[in-house]
Amino acid sequence: METLPPILVVDDNHDNAEIIRQYLEVRGYPITVAHSGDEALAVFEQVRPALVLLDVMMPGRDGWETCRIMKQHPTLGRSMRIVMVTALDEWADKREALQTGADDYVEKPFDLPKLASTVQRNLAMLKAAS
Amino acid sequence: MNKSVLLTDCGDPAVEAAVAQLDAWRAVTVPTRDLARAIGHEAHLRAVFVAAEGPPALREVVECAHAKGLPVVVGCRDEAARRRAVELRAEEWIRLPVDAEELAGRVRSALMRAQASESTPDLAARAEQAQMLYDFMTGLPTLPVMIERIRPQIKERGEVTVVYFNFVRYSKIEEIYGWEKLDAVLETTAAAVKEFLEGYDLQASRVMVGYTNDDDFIFFHVPPLGEQGVSEQQLTVIVERLQKHVAGRIEEAHGEDIATLFEIYVGLARVYYNPKLRLERLIYRGIREAANAAKSVEERERARRVDDLRTSLRDRAVYVDYHPIVVTQTRKVFGYEALARGVMRSLRSPEVMFDVAAQADLIWELSRLCRARALEGIETRLGQGELLFINVDPHDFADPDFTEREVAEPSRVVIEITERTAIKDYPKFRERLKAFREIGYRFAVDDAGSGYAGLGSIANLEPDFIKLDISLISAIDTNFIKQNLVESMVKFANDHGAQVIAEGVERAEEFETVKSLGVHLVQGFYLHTPGPAAGARRTAPAPAGAPATAPAAD
Repeated sequence: METLPPILVVDDNHDNAEIIRQYLEVRGYPITVAHSGDEALAVFEQVRPALVLLDVMMPGRDGWETCRIMKQHPTLGRSMRIVMVTALDEWADKREALQTGADDYVEKPFDLPKLASTVQRNLAMLKAAS
Repeated sequence: MNKSVLLTDCGDPAVEAAVAQLDAWRAVTVPTRDLARAIGHEAHLRAVFVAAEGPPALREVVECAHAKGLPVVVGCRDEAARRRAVELRAEEWIRLPVDAEELAGRVRSALMRAQASESTPDLAARAEQAQMLYDFMTGLPTLPVMIERIRPQIKERGEVTVVYFNFVRYSKIEEIYGWEKLDAVLETTAAAVKEFLEGYDLQASRVMVGYTNDDDFIFFHVPPLGEQGVSEQQLTVIVERLQKHVAGRIEEAHGEDIATLFEIYVGLARVYYNPKLRLERLIYRGIREAANAAKSVEERERARRVDDLRTSLRDRAVYVDYHPIVVTQTRKVFGYEALARGVMRSLRSPEVMFDVAAQADLIWELSRLCRARALEGIETRLGQGELLFINVDPHDFADPDFTEREVAEPSRVVIEITERTAIKDYPKFRERLKAFREIGYRFAVDDAGSGYAGLGSIANLEPDFIKLDISLISAIDTNFIKQNLVESMVKFANDHGAQVIAEGVERAEEFETVKSLGVHLVQGFYLHTPGPAAGARRTAPAPAGAPATAPAAD
């Protein structure tokens, strides 16, 4: 069987993270969970995720800042898609998201099939690029 | 000299090949069961690569190595092994069977990581620190790192030449095309500079490249003992060649419009070692001095350009490139955007030309000339039913010479107003536009969506056309947030009876994406090549039936 690319799920809410983990793991993705921006930064070089699902509202280092730092990583930054988990309603919000280098977003509270299709379309993009 | 040792239990010949790629390294191979013990005994040991996967053996090896402060690279056959490696806090992992180049890279990065964790245990802080020490985009070391590297050489030689390269107008690239573009251009620049230096023999002396936070480069040049440092004349030659080299690379990678924005000004300062003074301070002073020298070169050049501009205005020496705008669905020409350029080389780029005009307070004069030239295109360029798009700065509306009676057929003209210039008095401005609108002129908002303001400020101008900012279009095929923004703009336009134009479409993927999003019109190199100068050098797939771009009058 073809192994699916690793995903890093970052959410300070343990329940949310667990729900996403289970949902995606069943679909065959190797999942690593981090519960804060700092934790995500600490593990992401080792996990080398193809995709990061990044919650925006987290105490401490928030999702935007985490995204910016990850995208600046010299080797991993380009080979990784970042999906922000947040509702971006206003034009300004989306503009701000572009500023951090984010590739996509999925609204919260999420519906899981939507989340899975968002994951899929981003991974497909990555595959097409390589 | 003693070579550094990579201890391993992996007999794959790729390991030897990897070690050969590292600087002064050798591999020592032992059976897995002896690995932990060898860590205690092997001299000059600097890193461990373990390929065995048995969990107890692996744990022992990683723990022994970490006790000695040695980084470990773990060979992994599958996902489970990889996770084990991460759990054990190995510095790096690599897929088995190993690839030599990949392994060399992993060893390097494991070493860096181990080094970093010694001084900063917090991993997040380490990421920040790594950014401070190395510029993430160019990989060039930042100034503090640079100074440490050259300290011994400066002490030995007693002097260092600081060469400051000021890359002007890079901020303009960011303003027009967005930060992603400038990042890419900087990357090209850094690579081109490195490439140039590698092929350049500065009398075998030491040249190091530093990189400051913004977009400037610094070279440190330490002449070899007994030899003179680089002279001003030598430097002039070097700079000329470097400028050509970098501009060439930028044009190859990013096109002519960006390459014409590119300029370097160089300044030089010599710093002499003095044991009484702190070297850091000496160097920072030297940098400031060199930067000032670069600045004065820039000012001389600017004065020369103002002269060029006055001459151009007197001789009416601007020509116009007509960029076709086509209907997305049919690819038929809808109209042309007129873009004025200086005939003189130094004023070729419209951005540069208007910059110079702004500094010399000649904006209105230049605008009038460019407008007049552009409007000639109604006669010389437009086919039946095609429109002419001209750029008008909001300030131009204050020019008493600019009136709605300027053109015989106003209904063929679309006035583009950029969203980037702040409009102070909206009611008054709208009143002014009304007079134009009433006799048939149409309006386009240029660079729409470049700011945070979004759709509200666009609605204010009641445009007939909305030209999306280039930064929203470049790489739109891979960014879903951009797609979402453009989609909402198209919806907004449809609700308000306006048409959306995607500018800067350079690739087939971008074209297909904007097409699928319902964008009405497109402009960009993917569909047509613009002027004569660019046309000769750029190859873009011109669709069948597209009119060839005729040379513009000089």
